[in-house]
Amino acid sequence: MPGKPVHNERTVATYCYQCVAGPDLLKVRVEDGVATEVTPNFDAAVVHPAGGKVCVKAFGLVQKAYNPNRVLYPMKRTNPKKGRNEDPGFVRISWDEALSLVADKLNAVRAAGLTDETGYPRVAASFGGGGTPTAYMGTLPAFLSAWGPVDMSFGSGQGVKCYHSEHLYGELWHRGFTVSPDTPLCEYLISFGANVEASGGVCGVKRHADARKRGMKRVQVEPHLSVTGACSAEWIPIKPKTDSAFMFAMIHVFLHEHPRDRLDTPFLKHRTSSPYLIGPNGLFMREAATRKPLIIDAATGCAVPFDAAGIEPALEGSFVVDGIEVDADDEIISHKDVTVSTAFVQLVAHVKDYSPEWAAAICDVPAATIRRIANELLEHARVGETIDIEGMTLPLRPVSISLGKTVNNGWGGYECCWARTLIGCLFGALEVPGSTLGTTVRLNRPADNRWSSVKPGPDGFMLYPMNPTGKTDWISRPTARSAHRTLVPLVADSAWSQALGPTHLAWMMQDENFDKLPVASPPDVWFVYRTNPAVSFWDTKAIGKTMAKFPFVVCFAYTRDETNHVADVLLPDCTDLEGLQLLRIGGTKYVEQFWDHQGFALRAPAVPPQGEAKDFTWISTELAHRTGLIKEYNAAINRGAAGVRLSGKGYDFSLAPEQMHDVETIWDASCRAASAEITYGAESQGLAWFRDHGFRVKPFPRLQWYLYPKLVAEGLRFEQPYQEQLFRVGKQLGRRLHEQGIHWWDKQLREYEPLPPWHDLNTLWETALAKHFSVRIADYPFWLITARSMQYSWGGNVGIQLIKEVADNVAGHGNVVMNHAAAERLGIADGDLVEVRSPLNETKGRVMLCEGIRPDTLLMIGQFDHWVTPFAKDFGAPSMNALMPMLLDLTDATGSSADLVKVKITRLEAAT
Amino acid sequence: MTRWAMVADLERCVGCQTCTAACRHSNATSPAVQWRKVLDIEAGSYPNVSRVFVPVGCQHCADPPCMHVCPTTATRQRADGIVTIDYDLCIGCAYCEVACPYQARFLVHEPRYAYDAATQNEVERADPARFGVAQKCTFCSDRIDFGIENDLTPGIDPRATPACVNACIADALHFGDVDDPNSNVSRLLREQHSFRMHAELGTDPGFHYLYGGQYGSAPEPVATAAIAVADAGQIRARGVEPSQQRHWDWKAAGNFVCGGIGSGLFVFAAPAGLGYDELAALGWAALGVVALGLFLVWLKIGRPMRFINVLRQPRRSWMAREAWIAAVFFPLAGLALWSKIPALLGVAAVVAVLFLCSQAMILKEAKGIPAWRTVWIVPLILVTGLAEGSGLFLAAVTQFGALQPLFGPVAAIALALAGLRGWVWRSYQVALEAEGAPTRALAALRDYRPWFFIVGLALPSALIAAGVATTTAAAVLFAIAGLCIASAGATLKFILITRAGFNQGFALAHMPVRGSGIAGPAVKPGWSIQ
Repeated sequence: MPGKPVHNERTVATYCYQCVAGPDLLKVRVEDGVATEVTPNFDAAVVHPAGGKVCVKAFGLVQKAYNPNRVLYPMKRTNPKKGRNEDPGFVRISWDEALSLVADKLNAVRAAGLTDETGYPRVAASFGGGGTPTAYMGTLPAFLSAWGPVDMSFGSGQGVKCYHSEHLYGELWHRGFTVSPDTPLCEYLISFGANVEASGGVCGVKRHADARKRGMKRVQVEPHLSVTGACSAEWIPIKPKTDSAFMFAMIHVFLHEHPRDRLDTPFLKHRTSSPYLIGPNGLFMREAATRKPLIIDAATGCAVPFDAAGIEPALEGSFVVDGIEVDADDEIISHKDVTVSTAFVQLVAHVKDYSPEWAAAICDVPAATIRRIANELLEHARVGETIDIEGMTLPLRPVSISLGKTVNNGWGGYECCWARTLIGCLFGALEVPGSTLGTTVRLNRPADNRWSSVKPGPDGFMLYPMNPTGKTDWISRPTARSAHRTLVPLVADSAWSQALGPTHLAWMMQDENFDKLPVASPPDVWFVYRTNPAVSFWDTKAIGKTMAKFPFVVCFAYTRDETNHVADVLLPDCTDLEGLQLLRIGGTKYVEQFWDHQGFALRAPAVPPQGEAKDFTWISTELAHRTGLIKEYNAAINRGAAGVRLSGKGYDFSLAPEQMHDVETIWDASCRAASAEITYGAESQGLAWFRDHGFRVKPFPRLQWYLYPKLVAEGLRFEQPYQEQLFRVGKQLGRRLHEQGIHWWDKQLREYEPLPPWHDLNTLWETALAKHFSVRIADYPFWLITARSMQYSWGGNVGIQLIKEVADNVAGHGNVVMNHAAAERLGIADGDLVEVRSPLNETKGRVMLCEGIRPDTLLMIGQFDHWVTPFAKDFGAPSMNALMPMLLDLTDATGSSADLVKVKITRLEAAT
Repeated sequence: MTRWAMVADLERCVGCQTCTAACRHSNATSPAVQWRKVLDIEAGSYPNVSRVFVPVGCQHCADPPCMHVCPTTATRQRADGIVTIDYDLCIGCAYCEVACPYQARFLVHEPRYAYDAATQNEVERADPARFGVAQKCTFCSDRIDFGIENDLTPGIDPRATPACVNACIADALHFGDVDDPNSNVSRLLREQHSFRMHAELGTDPGFHYLYGGQYGSAPEPVATAAIAVADAGQIRARGVEPSQQRHWDWKAAGNFVCGGIGSGLFVFAAPAGLGYDELAALGWAALGVVALGLFLVWLKIGRPMRFINVLRQPRRSWMAREAWIAAVFFPLAGLALWSKIPALLGVAAVVAVLFLCSQAMILKEAKGIPAWRTVWIVPLILVTGLAEGSGLFLAAVTQFGALQPLFGPVAAIALALAGLRGWVWRSYQVALEAEGAPTRALAALRDYRPWFFIVGLALPSALIAAGVATTTAAAVLFAIAGLCIASAGATLKFILITRAGFNQGFALAHMPVRGSGIAGPAVKPGWSIQ
């Protein structure tokens, strides 16, 4: 080993949850009290799906601890003016002064009322990437729970940077907040822009590498040859945002070019709404007495309720029946001797014109290719085959479709998510071994495993907790500044819902009045942790200006950055290797974490905090104490707000409610409760045990990877293909909004279609940009897209030298990636400095030419454009975030948009 | 016997650089010093494009050119095949770095930090022995040795396995003993298709690449067509194609320039000084020029204070031999010039030629540089040195009117040597183009070709002819001709070292299978012949 002789060496087990694909387990070598090396945790090799390994991001943690650019002391702003060009004038203060500043402000808020006169919470908080900050914020959730209403709707990437439509529709259709192939058994996977090799974490990478060696064929359909495309058997360069046409054409091939027996008709008949009869108004035909949807018993030709015993449902045909339709607001439409057909028949007719030849012109992919891919999927579907999982015989359907960002969010996300899920249903390839699976739930409850979230709903489907749209229960006054519960029924009302609403609306409402909604006040106090919306969202320049108007901003600060540039107080928290926390691990989690175990892992401090950085739990406890909420705070911890409930059957490690507890006491109690939970009360080892062992798990049944057995056990169906519920809910929502005089959401209301038709999204984008900026869109000939980077995504690690160094080994980082021939036509050479301009804004960067990108597409990997963050501000790397306008016209019904904009490119100077 | 080797599965590798980061951690290398890294290569033309990730680093060759050229014995090979560097012996001459066809070696002269100043972990792991010397992947030999001592199996037990292999999240990197038929790596190589990079160079590298598919599986992953070299189309080649070596700069080039001119001049000046007092000083000047070249090298090496180590390995290294020859040449030539003993001068002239030969062989043994390693480099350097010496000699002789009778014969010799040099130069280029070389190296040489012809041959020929015709200006014309001949040769060597010294680059014998289909074609970016 290099270096001076080491006197004292030890290893510390901890976890890495820097990205949504975690958590993963690692060890840190500590020499003479200094962290020097990150290694896998091979003690976890047999329990962790990726053998106890961590990805490249974890190796940045040592530099993260010792980065000289860290904020190491509490600081306060001395310049009352805020803005990009204002020097904040931060000066060092004591922790006591910093906490007093924050607590005084909070106490003033509390005295004034937790919500303002319009009902918006006075305190807001924004946390970064996919919920990962909770793995580092100790007991802050308990403080927030003790506090009361907090507005979490100021987005910092949600919607436009996440798999938004998939989150909402995935949960609706198969409890899949994120969706994954059953990679270990899958044999044929079509990946529409899903970049699993960059964003699937170690589990995703390992599972797919194993699958390749097994012979799984993965086809990557994407405008550029991403890392994932590189590792796929085939790359199909599709025109941006035309994926739904490709998938619709595949459905056409399945339904119009092959006999029905190639489909899994038993699955369609018994596990989907395919045989449900559709009335003249596009609603389910129902039995008048029970309101149960009707199907036709093929044996008798009679219409019977869907759950009638011992019947063989007719999948196709035209039938004359009596019944009712239940329209919006419970309006009953009665029918007698009306001729109806099944949902499946409607589906077949719906896709009749969506042939591969039709799609070819839209996608710029040959019809023969689309047809071949469809047929390959069909050939691999193995309809009729079974597999034994833990003693239960389940269908084996080793085909799947995964969707990536920009495909599964924003306009078109509905069509793509629907088509993907539907294709699974056609072959019975949904939630069965080898097929398309949900990974976790975040909107349904409880969130601890997917099976327990399955509850019977009214029409034979799983119950979904839509936000109400009825006349009496619609939430007309938003509870958060994004109006998520008012506008988006699908987003539900879980702890995650605020962050999944149309979070850009919270920003937009600060600057423009949304007719008939209360004027959105700025939050009195805004907490920010592990996020940098001034760089990481869309229309970042506008967001930067908006946040500068917030009166009191508290940032938990690692280094100075573009968001904490407007902060009033900076609080330095312990970094990943310095803080203490217990985290739930295992089960099934996004993106590809499918464990055979579940339990807990400890983030033990490997090294002492640098400077005066403090453990997040200490900060939270101090805030609770100084705001008089210690009792409520302790009660929240006891309830499980810090990750584990402290009492259960046969054990009780609850904290005494009235007193302040130190960090170790809190986590010792959590560790004891965790031990007891895992051993069903038999053992109660605490913090010391976890420090020694790092993690503790018990088996997680593999059967629970699949939702199918649970649906069978509950006698339920997947809510596919026909979206009657959404259709009705959309109608109701429209009525409520119109009753209130709100018409600016009408475009979104039109998305509530029972069978989504194809939309020309390219024209939609172009029209919106042309209209709002009064430009000739032909002057912006390129589509600008982005892609995730394993090295950076979610990591908040742009200031880490090692990450930059190794990311530079992966082509495209820090560049404008452009097709060679397209560049030649414009006289642009490799390495030239260019300006890329959208109708909204411009960015600059060096061009990297390659062949693996469409000639009409430009790519900028990751999110940069830093102008404060030390180290990163010198990258000169381009970013698309400032180029994308926040427009309602570009917002879909789920409240999301996609990373996509039209741009032109201009050469500024030659390569150096 | 044991031979440790690395096996990288290109079908698995996703280019994530976790191995790169793990290596940086484990071996505490300086920023940008990546003993292990993963290349990102794209080949083909839109829309038929492939992209592959290729882990590279020291290949621990069985016949390592780096070791053969090392003048100090710092680079050695263990019995288990691991190629090592003794930081206490290395003088940082960078000869190994130009000899390595895999760009695996690094020379860091000063501490480099992630940020402006050393962070705590950098202070803790600082290793001053690493500066000014060659460094490279060790296969984490300390882990292997620990494993052997503790009865662990390297490649199987993480404590005995290289950090990059431990860290690899795609299980793409494997490590083990290829001499053990039952080892993990032997099994992989037996069951799957593999190749080694630059195998044609004969270094027997210990780094194997699996490119997908099992033997006997259907479809057979390598179609006949796939073995043939592909029309690689456009290749995004940054960091992959051959690049100009940076280890030997103008100072190293100065040694070849001065060594050639000095030794060549000595060959003519030494015997001439016997008969003509006017030329007595010329031999001493020649010695000075050779010494200046060696002084420039001394300025360049990483550890100048231990330069004496350069003498340690004359059995293998031509750089050590050059040093030994110089060590003999200077006292011998000095004594000969002082004593004017003809036999001694003759021997000294022979040693000067040997010195020139040693410089030629230094370049020839640099296996990492295609424009140097070709056999024609030897006559080229030899003849160029003699031509330069003769040119300078001509220029010197013509300064003395009393020596006019010599003008014609010396001019004839210089012109003859210039002509011979032109022929060798042409032969060198023809051979190089036939063998295949980095296109940019060939371009650099081609760019110089007209100048070399004009300045090095045509102009001197014309000047000498004019001198012969107009006897009154013969001295001046001959002198200019001589200087032209010398300067053209000096420039040639400067260009050879600093402009045409492109390294081997990286190449693949096959693009890998990815789950399904057949292996792709060979890829060799930046080469005139694929």
